Amino acid sequence: MDHENPQSDAAEPANDGHSLEEESSGLRKIIHVDMDAFFASVEQRDNPELRGKPVAVGGAGGRGVVAAASYEARKFGVRSAMPSVTAKRLCPDLIFCKSHFETYREVSQQIRAIFRHFTPHVEPLSLDEAYLDVSDDLRGIGSATRIAQLIRKRIQEETQLTASAGVSYNKFLAKLASDQNKPDGLCVIRPGEGAAFVAALPVRRFHGIGPKGAEKMARLGIETGADLAAKDIKFLRSNFGSFADYLFRAARGIDLRPVRANRIRKSVGGERTFNEDISSGAALRDTLERIVDIVWERIENAKAEGRTITLKMKFNDFTQVTRARSLPRNVTDKDEFRSIGRALLEEMLPLPMPIRLMGLTLSNLAGSNTDGSGEKAAGPGRDVAQLSLL
Amino acid sequence: MKATIERATLLRCLSHVQSVVERRNTIPILSNVLIDADAGGSLKVMATDLDLQVTENMAAASVEMPGAITVSAHLLFDIARKLPEGSQVSLETADNRMAVKAGRSRFSLPTLPRDDFPVIVEGDLPTSFELPAKTLAELIDRTRFAISTEETRYYLNGIFLHVSDEDQPVLRAAATDGHRLARFTLPRPDGAEGMPDVIVPRKAVAELRKLLEESLDANVQIDLSASKIRFTMGGEGGVVLTSKLIDGTFPDYSRVIPTGNDKLLRIDPRSFYEAVDRVATIATEKTRAVKMSLETDKVTLSVSSPDNGTAAEELAADYGSDGFEIGFNANYLKDILGQIDGDTAELHLADAGAPTLIRKDDKSQALYVLMPMRV
Repeated sequence: MDHENPQSDAAEPANDGHSLEEESSGLRKIIHVDMDAFFASVEQRDNPELRGKPVAVGGAGGRGVVAAASYEARKFGVRSAMPSVTAKRLCPDLIFCKSHFETYREVSQQIRAIFRHFTPHVEPLSLDEAYLDVSDDLRGIGSATRIAQLIRKRIQEETQLTASAGVSYNKFLAKLASDQNKPDGLCVIRPGEGAAFVAALPVRRFHGIGPKGAEKMARLGIETGADLAAKDIKFLRSNFGSFADYLFRAARGIDLRPVRANRIRKSVGGERTFNEDISSGAALRDTLERIVDIVWERIENAKAEGRTITLKMKFNDFTQVTRARSLPRNVTDKDEFRSIGRALLEEMLPLPMPIRLMGLTLSNLAGSNTDGSGEKAAGPGRDVAQLSLL
Repeated sequence: MKATIERATLLRCLSHVQSVVERRNTIPILSNVLIDADAGGSLKVMATDLDLQVTENMAAASVEMPGAITVSAHLLFDIARKLPEGSQVSLETADNRMAVKAGRSRFSLPTLPRDDFPVIVEGDLPTSFELPAKTLAELIDRTRFAISTEETRYYLNGIFLHVSDEDQPVLRAAATDGHRLARFTLPRPDGAEGMPDVIVPRKAVAELRKLLEESLDANVQIDLSASKIRFTMGGEGGVVLTSKLIDGTFPDYSRVIPTGNDKLLRIDPRSFYEAVDRVATIATEKTRAVKMSLETDKVTLSVSSPDNGTAAEELAADYGSDGFEIGFNANYLKDILGQIDGDTAELHLADAGAPTLIRKDDKSQALYVLMPMRV
């Protein structure tokens, strides 16, 4: 459920051990909190009949996918984002239930209020997980580990749900740590332990390395963090391009990204997957109309102003194309938004083959930083050489 | 409204309130001052930025017609500044305009209705005490330089005031930006017992300090709740500054004040300041660090910059512990040394990575903690 891109905002890695030193000073204390099987746990909490049973939240039929699976379901290999049909095959007793996003949002508000009790530096990644920078111990609790324990306790008390937490000195390690003892677990990676922790880890556990990435790494003889750390930056750059810098640092347990309490939204959009592929002009226009309604409502809710509109289509062979248009000024109203979306669609007609998904996005938002340099301003002034009091 | 007022009185009053008004405002009325003439012959002038408001009463030469109106603060201030000394200024409203007349000058300024002017609702201010203006001014001077300007850490963007029971009850002011900390302690004034911990925002601190400068021999009345604070200077008819407080938790700073630092350096703060300032000439924006090498009764300051070369200076000092090296941000060091008057400053050091405690002596009301830089 984490859509951040770890490579986009990392700083340039040093070509010697210098950056290691910067990190090992351990100035920061970061906690990553992740609710355990969030949607499924909420459903089990609110419907006692589901407790102890394999539960999946999501649509059961046709092209439904599993949005979340309970731990009972995970034993059968059911995973989120898996097609429901596959899940049902793996676990014939799997109970599908409808999602209740209103409830998830309410719980999300509850846990965020708990986070904010301890620090204003909360970076939510989704409804059920967040990074917290507790370098400033505002409540005088004494240690980040103790704060993480208190947070887990309060979440349990106030929501009757469990969360796992990871504590470390950067975001990358904190996230790995929260995953370590799931569910209902806590793991601490102390300064100096990061590199060793990462070394033993299969690369698949690294945030940003999916099945395909892991496959490619396996072909290059990289199975673990240690294997990755053994490769030099040149090798990584020639094989992984811009992803190399992130990998280089990750393999050493280094991550200088700050916790950003006010992440700047870069786009607002939405997309739909259809029950049946569509190709006729009339059906496409109808669909676009519905997507415009949904997305424009989101734009209004977010009070977003932007000047680039992007139309995305995924064909039934899973290839995808996008068409975008930028205005010299912000899009002013829904009619303009609709007519540009429509124009983008007309340009692409007739389609070479039916599509399974259509999406529309407004980006280039006013006040957002398109070059990603918002980073510097957001960093809490932690000069590398200047030591911190708090 | 129609009133006449001496130019000097008007100017002094506007100079007090106009700096509250931001130069750029998205809400037009926030560019204005409220002028309220009452039948008793006094004129109330008020300015606000929604978080902070300053009100001053001044005696008018005459009030011909009571009433209230708002008009651009900066325009009226600039006009008052340029009018000839000793002139009588007449202010009169008609048809959504305010006519300003003095001698042969005539101005007609646009106005906005007084009812649109936002006034901070003070609510109940249960804690009340008085402080000599001089004491309050010193409290501000000794701490404000350490206030953080980093907006993400908004809870550090002000001076933290709280009472505490040490050997005797005290009122404490503290400010920190995470690199240095300044704390000022005074005996708890009557009426301050049980007061909530509050953080007074930077802008309120700056405006208050300016206002104090004009009444340093008087007392200041302070009234506060957990969300608002009001400073009254010059009693009835004086200046009143009301500010919202920062809604946040100030870190428990007492734990960063070192108690066991065993290396004591005694040094003349002025010559130390000047030497730091001299060697820091070499320091660039990136390398603001000044290295201090401590040996028996001697401190050597040095700076080296890849671009600008090197600098070094030796100073006599009183030091008897083991020699070692430590680095500090030159500006931070100067900020603190600049606060210490007298012939000696005490630096209590532990090691190159630990907070250093700086003060005049163990009786001084002000205490500073400075975190080193790695050099």
